[in-house]
Amino acid sequence: MSALDLPPRPRGRWKPLVAIGVILVITAITLSPQVGISFSFDAIVRNWQNGASKIFALVQPDWSFFPRTIPPLLETLAMAVIATFVASLVSLPLSLWAARLTNPNRWTRGIVRTLLNIVRSIPDLLYASVLVAMVGVGALPGIVALLLFNIGIIVKMVSENIEANDAGPLEAGRAAGGTQFQINRVIATADALPAFVNQTLYVLELNVRASTVLGLVGAGGLGLLIDAVRTFYRYDQLSLIILEILVVVIVIDNASDAIRRRLV
Amino acid sequence: MGAVPFSIHARDVTVRYPNGVVALDGISLDIQAGEMVSVVGLSGSGKSSLIRTINGLVPISSGTLEVGGRHLESLRARELRALRGDIGMIFQGFNLATRASVLNNVLVGRLAHTPTWRTFLGVYRAEDRQIAYEALERVGILGKVWDRASTLSGGQQQRVAIARALSQQPRLVLADEPVASLDPPTAHGVMSDLRRINRDLGITVITNLHLVDLARQYGTRLIGLRAGQVVYDGAVADASDAVFENIYGRSIENRDVLGT
Repeated sequence: MSALDLPPRPRGRWKPLVAIGVILVITAITLSPQVGISFSFDAIVRNWQNGASKIFALVQPDWSFFPRTIPPLLETLAMAVIATFVASLVSLPLSLWAARLTNPNRWTRGIVRTLLNIVRSIPDLLYASVLVAMVGVGALPGIVALLLFNIGIIVKMVSENIEANDAGPLEAGRAAGGTQFQINRVIATADALPAFVNQTLYVLELNVRASTVLGLVGAGGLGLLIDAVRTFYRYDQLSLIILEILVVVIVIDNASDAIRRRLV
Repeated sequence: MGAVPFSIHARDVTVRYPNGVVALDGISLDIQAGEMVSVVGLSGSGKSSLIRTINGLVPISSGTLEVGGRHLESLRARELRALRGDIGMIFQGFNLATRASVLNNVLVGRLAHTPTWRTFLGVYRAEDRQIAYEALERVGILGKVWDRASTLSGGQQQRVAIARALSQQPRLVLADEPVASLDPPTAHGVMSDLRRINRDLGITVITNLHLVDLARQYGTRLIGLRAGQVVYDGAVADASDAVFENIYGRSIENRDVLGT
């Protein structure tokens, strides 16, 4: 019986365990009273009945409220579509600008990325609040807030996709004497198209949901109505609005699938 | 076509990569217009660097390199693009934009001759499209012109890549291991295409290969590289097995021939 010539075990077998350990430690820190958030389960026991009455109202939608929800619902949809459309126009060139493969210039790339990091780090609700103060209550501040929010998302995801794509086709364009602009237009855009379409469709869905929140600060759409019915504790009306949003999200989701199948 | 094919004159060309690796170590070569040259060597011998140096994808560290009468080491970006416009390149991995149509891939070969606004709007001149169709016809896959590149087989994709190079109306074609990803019959088909480009159109063709029999069958001149230096430069007919063994630094093995 001869000993098998087993090659040495690969290193790094402990990595998953280390990762799990790190996650546990971080969780423990966030739960500790000194560093982390404080919460107690007593509150749930004491207050659950308050929530229960709201949930009871929520499961009984007030269908007669439906006609009043239509104009704001249409406004929400219009805001979402306009913001998505403009964002997609702006985001494709910015994505090409933000990726190393399609923009070898370290300085312009750094500027675009830094600006987008700033845009992304500001919450959409804050954009909406500031814009409402600047241009007044209505759909316009909502659209601009969604637009900024969308550009941040699409450019981030699409430029990362471009980085992950094969550099070979771009090199072929360079070898054929194309300028970076031509190479980006003809080759990189074709390769990045699936990611771009996916992100744009995803952002459309996000916008329908986000515009309900933006309405809370006066930026138009269903959010204004949500704020109104919530103030009067009309959870039966609120639940109707939530159902409508659910239907819209499902419709967009199915439409996205259909578009993706044809385009991608 | 009518344009004069390119000749190449290299003097003590050295290429050192930023990580310190010396890929080409003082190479001197003269390749005349219209030659069909096979460059042979093991992987890492510098043959890929040599081909990429000729069209400026890899910058020269020292020495002088003259391609088509222009000195690469002193070209500005715009002049380098114009020179590349006259040099077709074929890659081992085809390097097609797989999501784009065959036609749009071939039209990449017209980029250097197309104004930026036309590229931006995607409206190509009728004569550019005609050139692309003729290039596809020459490699026998015009029927695939509207197909998406990803739907083609490997051999068909490499033919599209050759058509892309041809549509440049090149004066020099560089092929970097063009058949290493193909099965033997397809490999011979692609090598025959390259030989026809050389014979029928008179274009200078330089092909990197690592297979002995392909180099013997399709080249007229053989350049052997080992560790970034030229260890053989002569007629293919004179290159005995001993010559190849010297280039490879070991005896010829089964994996060094394609077979049929």
